[in-house]
Amino acid sequence: MNKISDLDPQLQNWIEGYLNQTISKSDFESLQKAMLGDPELRHLIRRYLNLDCHLVAEGGLKISDLSFVPWSQSRSDDSQRGWVRKLALSQIGVAAAIAFLLGALAMYWQDFAWKDFANEEKRDAEEGNWDASGQEQFAEGFAVIKNLIDVTWAQEGKDFQIGEILGAETLYLAQGKISMQFFSGAILTLEGPAKLSLNSSWKAYCEKGSLRLKVPPAARGFKLQTPATEIEDLGTEFGFAIQDGKEKLEVFDGEVLIRPDGRDTVLVQKGNAIELSQGGLPVAITTGEVRVPTVEGDDQLLQKQIQSDFEKWKSYRNGLFQDQRLVAFYDFVSDPETGLVPNLCLPRNADFDGAIVMGESVSGRWPDLSTAIEFKRPSSRVRVNLTTTFSAFTFMSWVRVDSLDRQYNGLLMADGYETGEPHWQIREDGRMMLSVMVDESKENPYRKNARGFHRVYFSPPIWDLSMSGQWLHLASTFDPEERRVVHFLNGKVVSVSEIEDDYVVRDLRIGNAEIGNWGHPFREDPVFAIRNLNGRMDELAIFNAALGSQEIEELFTKSRLRKR
Amino acid sequence: MGRRENHEYEVFIRNFTKNEQNLRRFLRSLLPSWEDVDEVLQETAVVLWRKIEHYDPSTEFIKWACVVARFEALAYRRKMARDRLVFREDLFELIAEDAQDELEGASLERSNLQKCLSELPADQKRFVLLAYTPGVKVKELANQEGSSPGAFYMRLKRIRHQLLNCVERKLQNQ
Repeated sequence: MNKISDLDPQLQNWIEGYLNQTISKSDFESLQKAMLGDPELRHLIRRYLNLDCHLVAEGGLKISDLSFVPWSQSRSDDSQRGWVRKLALSQIGVAAAIAFLLGALAMYWQDFAWKDFANEEKRDAEEGNWDASGQEQFAEGFAVIKNLIDVTWAQEGKDFQIGEILGAETLYLAQGKISMQFFSGAILTLEGPAKLSLNSSWKAYCEKGSLRLKVPPAARGFKLQTPATEIEDLGTEFGFAIQDGKEKLEVFDGEVLIRPDGRDTVLVQKGNAIELSQGGLPVAITTGEVRVPTVEGDDQLLQKQIQSDFEKWKSYRNGLFQDQRLVAFYDFVSDPETGLVPNLCLPRNADFDGAIVMGESVSGRWPDLSTAIEFKRPSSRVRVNLTTTFSAFTFMSWVRVDSLDRQYNGLLMADGYETGEPHWQIREDGRMMLSVMVDESKENPYRKNARGFHRVYFSPPIWDLSMSGQWLHLASTFDPEERRVVHFLNGKVVSVSEIEDDYVVRDLRIGNAEIGNWGHPFREDPVFAIRNLNGRMDELAIFNAALGSQEIEELFTKSRLRKR
Repeated sequence: MGRRENHEYEVFIRNFTKNEQNLRRFLRSLLPSWEDVDEVLQETAVVLWRKIEHYDPSTEFIKWACVVARFEALAYRRKMARDRLVFREDLFELIAEDAQDELEGASLERSNLQKCLSELPADQKRFVLLAYTPGVKVKELANQEGSSPGAFYMRLKRIRHQLLNCVERKLQNQ
């Protein structure tokens, strides 16, 4: 670990906390311990502190920068502008200047579209307590993964999925092919072994490997940096490879500009190939010599692989249907005759079939193969009536969240929320929630003068806007025997909470319930009551048992699109 | 001021000014905040001036100055309140050793950072400069607006990470 990109996220948080002076005493202790035994970590921290130094030396925003502040633009009459200018020019005291700057910056800051966490906190007292640690509500990234073919990463712990957003990072590809679409529109296909860094939606740096870049007119000006040059794409398709230490470029269509070593520009047109050396001049070579990844047939290949994975999962799933602990399993493919979504659990119990109300059948996580149900409209839902008693719960589903529009976004919600009944949902800050009513006749611990003694068990945030449209495997277990509530994301435990003495409830039931919404809110306030999930669900399993972490991980692994 | 003193004063001013940024960088690696750095830098300047006659011009000024700064920082550290986030002494010594070996390269690093800053999207660049504007206190700004420092720091974290990545890459190419 001597690269910033290899820094462990927890260590990064600690370092940031130290820089901001917000780190807790105990985390600071842990950071110091880690630093003592690790010279590389100390080196990385010094780089952070050096950066801090240089940024301080930059001096921050100047009064003259205020012309960029939306606030000053919104009051765009001349007298205001003149005032800003006069203020900047006059020899006002430093303190006054800072005070002025602060006021303007405060307004500027509001512009960053952050949520008002103070109000949110108040509202959240309704269903549970949490710390307003603050999550930003915008997705930052440069590109999205379109395709992965036989990929092996050279980085430990890297496990990208199709649809995942890539930010400023360096990809070390040991083998295989990855296609990504930059938000500028450029499509880059990289073949390993390769090393590529993403700088922005308009710029990438390739240090090793071969690639094909397709730039639509909208992304003209996309730049690819290489050790020897910078290639500016003028709306075209070209291939680039570093072979035997030499950089080779072939333009298949359109034209590109290169700047060998930042000097004069050279235009390379369609049907030409060149070789570049560091600092040297480009030399023409024969076309076809540059080995670059092909993309023809990739989509079909991917589709074939997906098909085979889906078949494998379906046969594995048939075994699961016979699991004694399984109460219901829906794949949301409605029966053409009844229009219902059958409960696939065996032996067949048609009483537990579900009815789709205003939900739309759409493509599931196996594109064009499996079916999902979409709950976009506030009235969308699937109704079920599971008249059986439970001693524990496991809820497991593949969910694609498009956005968390509601304060609470329902996954599986018992109608009345009576004693022993569960609510499984996601809060707007991305935390999973599982709660079970302990005693509906006793006072609600979260709300004064209201009935309903229960506790909500939260996971840390597992979703943010950057994950919009990604398929996630969610599972939560409620285990009165072990006194434990566990939340899982993609087969991994994300939180474990203890069920305290007062909150133990053993006789569990579901009864009438809704998938993807909540039909019977006990308050009329629409903010509280509308809980449709803006997203899709592909498969939902309900068990009368708390599955262990190994089982859940296995079910995740078997049911996912294979890692490529 | 006599002739000799005049000469020493010149030596001191020239060297100190030239190395001030390096000294600040060195002290920043040891101390938790810029207030602390400024405090210790002042003390260091006083001591350096007092001892300038012991300075051997055949050695590098910055090396000599760092020995003094390190000692001053350690003394300051011992006076600091216990609740402050200050490195424990054994770690403090290790960091000082590491940092003294790495005094070179500050100006290259600075120019790389400036290039990286200019490559940032405009809103991110403004944001990070805002965070580093003198007098801006994140908490005050947050309280005033009823907003969250968490969101501010989260964004700052991402941008710092991006900048460090960029600086690293530039350095590799040089």
